[in-house]
Amino acid sequence: MGARLVGFYEQAAKELGVPGRMKLAMLTGIPSLAAETQPDSAENIKKFEQALSQLRQMPKS
Amino acid sequence: MRISTKLTGFYVAVLAVFCVLTVALLSQLQAVSRGYDALLNSPVRQMDEARVLQVDFKKQVQEWKDILLRGHNSEDLAKYTEQFHDKEQQVRAEAKALTSELEDQETRQLLEQFTAAHLILSQKYQQGYQAYVAGKADFKAADKVVRGQDRPPTDLFDKAVQRLETQVKESVEAQREAVLWNLNLALGVAGGLLLVLGMVGFFIVRDIRSRVARLKAVSDRLAKADISGLVIDISGADEIAEFGESMKGVHAAIEELLMMASAHAAG
Repeated sequence: MGARLVGFYEQAAKELGVPGRMKLAMLTGIPSLAAETQPDSAENIKKFEQALSQLRQMPKS
Repeated sequence: MRISTKLTGFYVAVLAVFCVLTVALLSQLQAVSRGYDALLNSPVRQMDEARVLQVDFKKQVQEWKDILLRGHNSEDLAKYTEQFHDKEQQVRAEAKALTSELEDQETRQLLEQFTAAHLILSQKYQQGYQAYVAGKADFKAADKVVRGQDRPPTDLFDKAVQRLETQVKESVEAQREAVLWNLNLALGVAGGLLLVLGMVGFFIVRDIRSRVARLKAVSDRLAKADISGLVIDISGADEIAEFGESMKGVHAAIEELLMMASAHAAG
């Protein structure tokens, strides 16, 4: 359950640090703790991919 | 449905109802006006004409009596004879005109009978006149010929007038009932439409207020950092639901921040 979603959080932390994790939670509406229990559904994965893509395009603060 | 769509739709509906009611009321007004015009142009006018004819007939009889009373003077005889014949022709012409206008068969028959009786009466008057002149103003001889002869046409015409009066009263009553019915219909339709609009408006406002209140409750808890067990469930497809989704992001970000802070403090 949610292994791939948690992976997005790890990727965000690696690339963008703590602000990246926080912004990912803000954009997806699913914090990392909740991501562990959420299903890796196509809808959720798409949401996280789009959010991460959006974060990568944002200027780093 | 979006709030802006709902409000625009409601506004358009109010405008449409207002326009429909205005058109309906103008139409009703025209219908009432046409009804009264028809009433004035037919039964009431015929009634007036009948009254004029009735008076003219009485004047004709009066002219005859003037002949009998003052005909001993040749000038008066010529004067009243001429006036008598004028009135006689006038009555005949008016009766003919009124008969042609009448739609009611029974009244028309009464008028036709009056015209026939009036013609017979004219012949009697002529005989009486001749007896009067031959007897050198012998009014007794003349009166003997015509006495009581004006009763049948008078009675016939009184009946016709009475019938016309009844028709006018019935027409006025029918028109009054039609106006009342139309008024009630207009009030019913207007009231019904306003009630429907009022109900729709009430439910729209109640829905918006309830959803905004739920959103405010979420916002208040986020402002106090009271996110324990906070569930943001504001469903729908309007601006309030979109705002609720934004709140979910803020809520998730605060949770993530608190989780990281806890992990940092523990580690």
